[in-house]
Amino acid sequence: MIGLWSVPLLFALPLALGILSLLVVPAWRPRLIFVGLPLLAAASLDVLAGLATAGPQVYRLGDWIAPLGINLVVDGLAVGMILMTTLVATLCALYARVYLRDHPPASSFFWPLLWFLWAGMNGIWLAEDIFNLYVGLEVMGLAAVGMVALRATPQALAAAMRYLLAALLGSLAYLLGVALLYAAYGTLSMAGLHEAATNNATTQVALALIILGLLLKTALFPLHAWLPPAHGGALTPVSALLSALVIKASFYILLRLWLVLGPEVTPELTAQLLGVLGAGAVFYGGWMAWRQHHLKQLVAYSTVAQIGYLFLFFPLVTNTSPEAARLAWDGTLMMLVAHALAKAALFLSAGNLILAVGSPQISHLVGISRFRPMSLFSFGLAGVSLMGLPPSGGFTAKWLLLHSAILSGQWWWLIVLFLGGLLSAAYIFKVFRMSFREGPQIDRSVTPPLTLDVVALVLAASAILIGLFAHLPLHWLRMGSVLGMG
Amino acid sequence: MILRIVLAGLLCLGVTVALGWAVLERPMPVENLPERVASAMPESGVEHPITAVLLNFRSYDTLLEIAVLLVAVVVALALREAQPDQPEQMGLDNPLLRAVMAWLLPLILVVAGFLLWAGSYQPGGAFQAGSVLAAAGVLLRLAGVTTNWLDNALLMRAGLALGLLTFLGIGLLVMLPGVPFLTYPAAHAGTLILVIELTLTLSIGLTLLSLFRLTPPYADDPDDARPQEDRNL
Repeated sequence: MIGLWSVPLLFALPLALGILSLLVVPAWRPRLIFVGLPLLAAASLDVLAGLATAGPQVYRLGDWIAPLGINLVVDGLAVGMILMTTLVATLCALYARVYLRDHPPASSFFWPLLWFLWAGMNGIWLAEDIFNLYVGLEVMGLAAVGMVALRATPQALAAAMRYLLAALLGSLAYLLGVALLYAAYGTLSMAGLHEAATNNATTQVALALIILGLLLKTALFPLHAWLPPAHGGALTPVSALLSALVIKASFYILLRLWLVLGPEVTPELTAQLLGVLGAGAVFYGGWMAWRQHHLKQLVAYSTVAQIGYLFLFFPLVTNTSPEAARLAWDGTLMMLVAHALAKAALFLSAGNLILAVGSPQISHLVGISRFRPMSLFSFGLAGVSLMGLPPSGGFTAKWLLLHSAILSGQWWWLIVLFLGGLLSAAYIFKVFRMSFREGPQIDRSVTPPLTLDVVALVLAASAILIGLFAHLPLHWLRMGSVLGMG
Repeated sequence: MILRIVLAGLLCLGVTVALGWAVLERPMPVENLPERVASAMPESGVEHPITAVLLNFRSYDTLLEIAVLLVAVVVALALREAQPDQPEQMGLDNPLLRAVMAWLLPLILVVAGFLLWAGSYQPGGAFQAGSVLAAAGVLLRLAGVTTNWLDNALLMRAGLALGLLTFLGIGLLVMLPGVPFLTYPAAHAGTLILVIELTLTLSIGLTLLSLFRLTPPYADDPDDARPQEDRNL
């Protein structure tokens, strides 16, 4: 059987490493990454090789057949998310090893939480069972809340508390929806629901609860208020992990469920509403990002804005032509992956700039371009992808979404894509303008360790490269998809 | 303020009505899962369907739930360590309480053991037994009995992790003949589940107890949350 060991190792390894890092002395905790990262990379690549040779697979845990047991789904989408997680989390871990040397109390608990977060995310990417997704969300969510609280300042604790309450409310709404679906159809397996689900009151109420819960967890406008303090206030590697990966998990669940329930059940009105909220997020998030004075708050609001593009998926695939739906699928997933890479790069390079000037204020970046050109270059490269300029991943994604909008005759989404790009440019250039200005406070800057700059640069370069070589990842991501392309 | 209460009330009412509607209009499931569970029971290694679902058919969910508990303790440990003060000795040092505890404690341990054992043929199991075990620890602390053996950080962490580690280890070890994760061989399923439940009971008990012990003693009462100097003003 293909992936017999590598599939369960994707969550078993991080769990084991999480436990191990609790049992070793704090000094040894960061060193576990030298064992863990290569093993996880190998498992991820083995799963990819399995997909490329044998196509999409179902992994039956305990050898029980769903719905009695729990299945894992190893299709293109799941493998794509796993590879994205492995790449981003690996680089964030390398960054954190160096960065956290100056934060000794936080660093001792960052490592166990990182591994548990990773296990939760890989569990979600692989899940085929809607209750199992809930448990995965809890593992990931609780670890994420803990990571926000690591700084232990009153602000960080308040942000973590707010995040915890939002995440719990979201989980409970999701769980209520799952309970209704189980009561109506007697199965928790997505394949079973795909067969059984019909359009009736129970399904619609369940779908509404699930959507609301997941929107709250994804921080889609207007349910985004918990995100900027949590993502902007956390330690830099934590901000990068949360913004790049964690919020994608709840969106991923919504995307999968939307396609599983199918066009008979998913109402077009809801799809349009999700698109409108996405558009609201793009405008509001972009505007708020431009108004921020703290660098990391700007980047956090940029996440609020970029989430909006992902939600254009729903109006573009609901009751549209297969060609438009296929383009929307490609565009949305490219957007998701490109944002993960670019946003991680943006947060890490912002962290480097803050280390260099010793202040989180954007106005203190005056003249920094002379001293830290490399940090600024990574910031700009990531910004290119967020703005959607060619040849970045962000550009490819917007190009595909634009084609899909034209093909499905929904021209109004073009305005969102265009104005959103302009707003991104406005807040990215706000940082650049300050850094090139000559001013009085330019006599000193701290040089952060080289590793920090290199990691940010690698992530930013990946965000560009994925746009140039979009063909192959998109081909993999389509494998086994419900949209009739597999 | 009144507007907010009215809005919240309307929202609650709306959700309640929608839920009621959804439950009343619910179609009858075509899939008969209880029947599937019943027909797979002989291979599960236990006699009670709930235990079979929790620790065999859907054991992966339980594995991740145990991970959630462990993450909760890790977060609590991280927050506790970030606070400069050490946990105070709390509880009433009352001889009567201690005398009652001396009677209660063996009883609690027997009940925990019974609940664990009962899980294989009637409702019960590791979660319930672990909670009872934790209650014993909480009572000890409230009665002011010194529990220094719990302050050994490494031993405590090993105890906390034992359940998940055993569960994970067994899940991986059974794969050696070339079957998927968590596939217990039918002949040994009962024994393996018992080992997992035993270690889970201990870890769940320690987890709940840790969450109680790691809470700063003054956090319960908002009036006491301020430092001593403030209160004297």
